[in-house]
Amino acid sequence: MIDHVKHSVPAAAFISAFKRCGIDYITTVPDMLQIALHQALDDPAHGIRTINCTTEDQAIETAAGLYAGGRNAAVLVQNQGFYAGINSVRALGLDSGVPLFFVIGQFGREFSNLGADPLQSKRRMVRMLEPLLDTLEIPYWRLEGPADSDNIERAWHASRERRGPAALLVGHFIGF
Amino acid sequence: MMMTLEACKILADRRDDAIVVCTMGAMNAFDKLPANPLTMACVPLMGGAASIGLGLALARPERNVFVVDGDASLLMELGGLVAVAQAAPENFFHFLINNGIQFAGLGNLVTPGHASVDFPALARAAGYRACYRFATAEALQAAMDTVLGGAAPAFIELVVGYDQPALGAANPAVEMIDARFTRMGDEIRQIRQHLGAGDPVRD
Repeated sequence: MIDHVKHSVPAAAFISAFKRCGIDYITTVPDMLQIALHQALDDPAHGIRTINCTTEDQAIETAAGLYAGGRNAAVLVQNQGFYAGINSVRALGLDSGVPLFFVIGQFGREFSNLGADPLQSKRRMVRMLEPLLDTLEIPYWRLEGPADSDNIERAWHASRERRGPAALLVGHFIGF
Repeated sequence: MMMTLEACKILADRRDDAIVVCTMGAMNAFDKLPANPLTMACVPLMGGAASIGLGLALARPERNVFVVDGDASLLMELGGLVAVAQAAPENFFHFLINNGIQFAGLGNLVTPGHASVDFPALARAAGYRACYRFATAEALQAAMDTVLGGAAPAFIELVVGYDQPALGAANPAVEMIDARFTRMGDEIRQIRQHLGAGDPVRD
């Protein structure tokens, strides 16, 4: 029996962190692990507008456009979506120095890997994410449970300070 | 037949305080026109212009955003039409330079669907609020008041001609200059500065 609470961070914790960071837009191709957060963000009372895109490239590009216009966006995607959007990451985050804050769900992670090292996942989808980020020289922080909640803001601030991409890796379903 | 530079000159003359995001052939044309701190090129990032423009339009609703796209570029992210239409910025004007070819003036390779794709129909079906097609400079010039005063997001296809290819046996290669890889970031920072956006760390 999985103790989901042990591995999940509630959506409310994300929204509070996003508000402290001044995030006013989300650009996304929705992620299964982040469904609770996507649903919570639908509440206009949070003052954070979600722009739904049809590809991760667009989510990255729209976030860059928002940044160019003086706004603060978080890009919510899943691991395979990040893989799909790498040329936009290269162009806007790495070559152009646009701060990009990624929240990346580890879609497909087997429950038997929870509490263990994602690098030891039996699924390539999961275990290739961190080595890929290393290759791209993109810093990242794991979110493996409530004790890691401060990593949300750490990753955000890292993206601003380095003027480039930084990623928060969501290891399990966000809590409702 | 209208040429890309002619079309872009008309847009530049009518932009007022609009932000312009251009790509490919339009980028080359805008580079030949007087510089403007609110112009940026989406390069090298084929397909990204409309989504960058969407972000800018949402961030800055007080001024217009002109996206000056290319036919092959738009095809790479055709779903972006849906994202724009759903977000529905009323200051978003999506111009499409349609010459039916890729590497215009360099290699002139035929774009997929060049003879059959109805771009304004695609935009209309996606949910753009106004769609137009112009094939002459005179028609574009005459319609600019209507376009800019009409509903938006708007999609405006500009059917243009193209120059002969420069690449061949006598000129077999061109090297990309460093600026090709740095100008997009420089121009984004320039736009932020011009708009008064603060430092990303301090503000």
